[in-house]
Amino acid sequence: MKNTLGSLIITAVMTHAQWLDYPTPGVPRLPNGKPNLTAPAPKTADRKPDLSGIWTTKAGYTGNIARDLKPGEVSFTPWAAELYKHRQDTLSKDDPQGYCVLSGVPREHVVPYPFKILNGTSGNGGMIAILYEALHSYRQIFMDGRKLPKDPNPTWMGYSVGRWDGDTLVVDSSGFVDNNWLDNGGHMGTEAMKLTERFHRRDYGHIDLQFTIEDPKAYTKPWTVNLEFTATPDSELIEYVCDENEKDLKHLVGK
Amino acid sequence: MNANKRKSFRLLAVTLVAASLPAAGQWLKYKTPGIPRTADGKADLTAAAPKTPDGKPDLSGVWRGDPGGYGVNVAAELKPSEIQPWAEKLYKQRLEDLGKDAPSYRCLPQIGPYTTFGMFKILQTPSAIAFFSEFNGSRQVLTDGRPLPEDPNPTWMGYSVGHWDGDTLIVENAGFNDKTWLDVGHPHSEELHVIERFRRKDFGHMDLKMTFSDPKIYSRPFSIDVELELVPDTELLEYVCNENEQSVKHFVITEQDRKQNRPNAKVAPEILAKYAGIYEMKNPEDPKGKPIAIWVLTEGDQLLMQMSGAGPKIPLAAQSDTTFSLLGGTVQFATDDRGAVTHFTMQAVEGDFKVARKGDLPPAK
Repeated sequence: MKNTLGSLIITAVMTHAQWLDYPTPGVPRLPNGKPNLTAPAPKTADRKPDLSGIWTTKAGYTGNIARDLKPGEVSFTPWAAELYKHRQDTLSKDDPQGYCVLSGVPREHVVPYPFKILNGTSGNGGMIAILYEALHSYRQIFMDGRKLPKDPNPTWMGYSVGRWDGDTLVVDSSGFVDNNWLDNGGHMGTEAMKLTERFHRRDYGHIDLQFTIEDPKAYTKPWTVNLEFTATPDSELIEYVCDENEKDLKHLVGK
Repeated sequence: MNANKRKSFRLLAVTLVAASLPAAGQWLKYKTPGIPRTADGKADLTAAAPKTPDGKPDLSGVWRGDPGGYGVNVAAELKPSEIQPWAEKLYKQRLEDLGKDAPSYRCLPQIGPYTTFGMFKILQTPSAIAFFSEFNGSRQVLTDGRPLPEDPNPTWMGYSVGHWDGDTLIVENAGFNDKTWLDVGHPHSEELHVIERFRRKDFGHMDLKMTFSDPKIYSRPFSIDVELELVPDTELLEYVCNENEQSVKHFVITEQDRKQNRPNAKVAPEILAKYAGIYEMKNPEDPKGKPIAIWVLTEGDQLLMQMSGAGPKIPLAAQSDTTFSLLGGTVQFATDDRGAVTHFTMQAVEGDFKVARKGDLPPAK
């Protein structure tokens, strides 16, 4: 195992129960009753693509968010290169996730836990929210036209504003903490990080996410990752309580 | 935002003030779009409650709820004989220990319905109503027509389903584990069932009634009423309980602490009677806003406090003729040179709060 964390973090085991098997209303279905994941993407009342639903990310990016990139595409600044090597050499023992703080963004989209996207009503001036199973966290994407704050208090989840570019939801985020981890392997983000995400629901069952990391403190040039989410209908999020019966931390010693 | 500075104060805070201190910042001052406003640009909190496109009341918005004295005693309407003796004993023990073993002080969740305490946001969609909390993560109330699960895997926050009864949202909750505390010490079993009734009276105000039933411990259901207030033109702050955690090692209660929280003096009833009255303090969270009203009452030779004349009466433990203990804090009454009570000072970890006497209690009915 490259990453101690992958093995140490408690993994929520899907149990089969009526709550989880409850058929999601409104899902297009095949004659055999199974969800038709290639049906057209739904629209909201105001004719925008509706991203609502439970989604699971494509497996394989938890340890290395940049696994599809060619050598040199992720170009560290000197101190960041040194830090990344240190994290690899010490088996990611300093990963904040090991201490039950939030996974942060965009890492929430490479961990193997489902998440739910909700479309808010006018009462909040337009908002898309994401409920993440991992660490019981949530993220708000403001759709009310506000600008990103100029000098915000840094947070793990960052500040996010969204807009529509045709059928693509474009989300700009900043205001992240200086100790952000983007994956288990230790790709970092700093307070200078800007994240641009493009969500495109190409059919009922799939969202393509393309995101670009721009962080001149850690990387000499921006880099872009493509991910895919698959709809996970007829299921629900499971409670995830990181602190419950915590026995792992003392084993998180690296090498 | 680090949570720990709140923890030590929490016990007193749950009785007296909601504990979230807003920090200034442009994001927090951004004017919430879609709020009806008066001519001077302020949010019109008495405008009509909004509706969703399908005609249901829209509960969306940033809200603040304060359980007041129920945070100390959620089962105040029950007699001790209506509570299983072991549970009553455990409650008293936890109270004496100032709640030092509370799971929430160790970053574990409280039950889902308590997501309405402190600052929280409601996001309403047709199939789910989400609650985002500053201190209790997120919670969803599913409104897609499903029933509660019959034999669920027990969880900290429980399972929640909602339906509309006219303009009232009724939320049923079950499937809890038996580890959380309902206040500073009342336990519950896995059979706990909670019904919440939300009714948005106007744009800025919502009534919430929570009814608890847990027949293994409490011989009949009991309810609490919480008034929710809309908080316009602000946002939730990120709350990461585990970040830079330094507090737990200080959660130690000594024999001396226990002694200080027991009555150690006998005060003459005529002295206690002088303290009875209505007092007011500035809301530390909102100094320019509505002050917090505290009633001081007597029952026999016992002095008690009550929030705004409603909810549980919390006993004070006499230490001298002028000094009383309240859940780890100290309450000291002051008089002017003619002997009339002017105010009391409440000392807590966060500092001293001056609470001025405003007048007499209304005559007993």
